[in-house]
Amino acid sequence: MDDNVGASDPNEDNNNIKEQERLLPIANVGRIMKQRLPLNAKISKEAKETMQECVSEFISFVTSEASEKCRKERRKTVNGDDVCWALEALGFDDYSGPIRRYLHRYRELEVERANQDRVRDNEREA
Amino acid sequence: MAEEENTSMAEEESTEAIRPELPIGRVKKIMKLDNDINKVNSEALFLVTCSAELFLRFLAEKSAEITTERKRKIVKLEHIRIAVKKHQPTSDFLLDSLPMPSSQPSDRPATDQKHPRPVSEKPVPAGTRRIDHFFHKPANEAPILIDNDES
Repeated sequence: MDDNVGASDPNEDNNNIKEQERLLPIANVGRIMKQRLPLNAKISKEAKETMQECVSEFISFVTSEASEKCRKERRKTVNGDDVCWALEALGFDDYSGPIRRYLHRYRELEVERANQDRVRDNEREA
Repeated sequence: MAEEENTSMAEEESTEAIRPELPIGRVKKIMKLDNDINKVNSEALFLVTCSAELFLRFLAEKSAEITTERKRKIVKLEHIRIAVKKHQPTSDFLLDSLPMPSSQPSDRPATDQKHPRPVSEKPVPAGTRRIDHFFHKPANEAPILIDNDES
């Protein structure tokens, strides 16, 4: 195995690990893609891999834009509103509606969870 | 994440917690690769994950439309490229990142990257199999149907 051209070398293994860290799992990506396809359709491996790259680029792009806004406003932490803003600023206003609803729902759940914790703590002390 | 409790069913979206299908932990790692990004709170991480999923669905759908328009059954890189071109905001950040057409897949072993010698070099006895036929098939890849008449 070691004599073959292109046998695994430690550097290449490290690259593979780095690849995994910067891409979403191909299984998840492939599954979500399939949901949008007719039943008998297939996706080439190259297309799935490309889609992994596309989504990672998107993540970086949106986060970077949101982060830049924070920096300009001298805030340290990117929050949900920043993400909503970034999506709109970058032209993804189709997502704006659903994402704002998710944000609203997420915050509601946070409040509920905090209340439940408080009730539980009070009961414990009683 | 919280279970559905006695909340009203009036909301059009699910009243349960929204569960993205993409792993939030991996999204966080991807964000962290950019050194310029400082802190991202949990709701922002959640929303980026959700919007990444929306983006993936959108691009998959548009790509599949191209595939169908061309009466193909396999979604290819070129279909994705066309879908990207058609949506200006996506094209602006993504078009240049797409691999060039007919690039070699990156995980092919080095031996397959050599071009096979032209088959027509020497006449051979009928029924002979050329030795490079044995090395032509990609070893570990899932079968990909080659579509030779893509425009």
